Amino acid sequence: MIEVAGLRVVLPPSTVALDGVDLVIERGELVVVLGPSGAGKTTFLRSLNRLVEPTAGTIRVAGREVTGAGAAEVRDVRRHIGMVFQQFNLVRRASVIENVLAGRLGYAPTIPSVFGRFPRPDRELARACLDQVGLGHLADRRADTLSGGEQQRVAIARALAQRPEVVLADEPTASLDPALTSSIMDTLKAINAQGLTLVVSQHQLETALAYATRIVGFRRGRVAFDGPPGAVTPTVVRAIYGDQS
Amino acid sequence: MVPAPTEPARIYLSPPSVHAGLTVPAPMKRAVLFVALVVLAWLVWDTGADPVRLARGLPWILDFLRRMMPPDPSVLPAALLGAIKTVEIALLGTAVAAVLALPLGFLSARNVAPGAVFYPARAVLNFFRSVDTLVYALVFVAAVGLGPFPGVLAVVAYTTTSLAKLYSEAVEGVDPGPVDAITATGATRLQVLRFGVIPQVLPLFLSYVLYRLETNIRAATVLGFVGAGGIGFYLQTYLRMIDYRAASTVLLVTVAMVMVVDAISSRLRDRLV
Repeated sequence: MIEVAGLRVVLPPSTVALDGVDLVIERGELVVVLGPSGAGKTTFLRSLNRLVEPTAGTIRVAGREVTGAGAAEVRDVRRHIGMVFQQFNLVRRASVIENVLAGRLGYAPTIPSVFGRFPRPDRELARACLDQVGLGHLADRRADTLSGGEQQRVAIARALAQRPEVVLADEPTASLDPALTSSIMDTLKAINAQGLTLVVSQHQLETALAYATRIVGFRRGRVAFDGPPGAVTPTVVRAIYGDQS
Repeated sequence: MVPAPTEPARIYLSPPSVHAGLTVPAPMKRAVLFVALVVLAWLVWDTGADPVRLARGLPWILDFLRRMMPPDPSVLPAALLGAIKTVEIALLGTAVAAVLALPLGFLSARNVAPGAVFYPARAVLNFFRSVDTLVYALVFVAAVGLGPFPGVLAVVAYTTTSLAKLYSEAVEGVDPGPVDAITATGATRLQVLRFGVIPQVLPLFLSYVLYRLETNIRAATVLGFVGAGGIGFYLQTYLRMIDYRAASTVLLVTVAMVMVVDAISSRLRDRLV
């Protein structure tokens, strides 16, 4: 589902964020990306949908070339990749349902959508996605009146509204109360159970081990570990995090 | 294990302030202070600023004020009509400028427009913004004749560029998070603008427009001096006729008009934020 070869990303002016990453992720996996701050987790996720421009290497997602794709092709790839962010990144002044509908932008005709007109099936799908995360009753509330946990669920609904094949979640629980971590991770796990491929970055080792089908550890822009959660030993943790653990 | 620190929210409101003063050595500071004092002294000399002259002039000011009393109520209807015209000039000019400034504002925002567009757009804005409304009024009176219309044009000319500058700064200050999120859905540039940027900047835009309306009311009061309509025409006429009591009525109406518009506008602005 995701094929990454020789991925190298140099962020301006000259920070080497990823330094030769090779990774193949199969359909239906729930990969948790681990690593200390600055190891390249976020850059890796953002490269997969070209929010970050790769410097070298190739990326294929869902059978489509990501690297080297033109503007229209990049948009087509992005439609099939949902993304969930640490800061939720909802449009705060818009209603909850409008935020979920934004997930349909890649499909909706541009000009009508700019005037707020979406085809009926899109609106029904958005509603269904909101119900799926259990927030159907909040559809007409303004997004910034919701709690952090609810906002992240809306963000997940927005990603689901894309009918994606892959969902990327960049530290989805890092801005939330620890008590909410499991509820968000449970929601993501449920999505994964429906056959979607998930790539989630996490800094909490226990959470990562509890939910992942596979762990990929980053250290200084390279893959330092790749294996099942059961294979993560204290030695592996040291290899990923260095001496700080 | 030690949890990794969470990455900070990426919200760029303004560049971090530079506290250069903390590292400047003391002799340098004294030198700067000395130069500043010399410059000020020269300014006082060159502009002929003289407190004694002001003191000598005080009786004349008092005489002027005395001759303004009491205000002449018979010119009140004319003054009110002039005030209404002034409000109309400011309202229409600001409204047209608010719309014209939209494309300019986005084209001169560093994070939206490519460099090839951004730099020329900024240069054009700075050029036109350096001329005041009153100067534009002189030009437009010469071009289209006397009356409120050249006043409206003058307000449009100045306000468009000044609002465009404010708009562009609002656009540059948007939280990139929602923009990323909308981009990630596969949205086109136009959709990203509409759903990621506009909802963030619209309340700011409206607040700037109201603020500009307030300053334009003030600017429009003097447009009449150069023949561009409104209450300034009456003020200038009565002053020329040495009818200070009538002029004071006009001044009082001007003050009342500015206060009313300010009050309404600031109340509206409070509700936006």
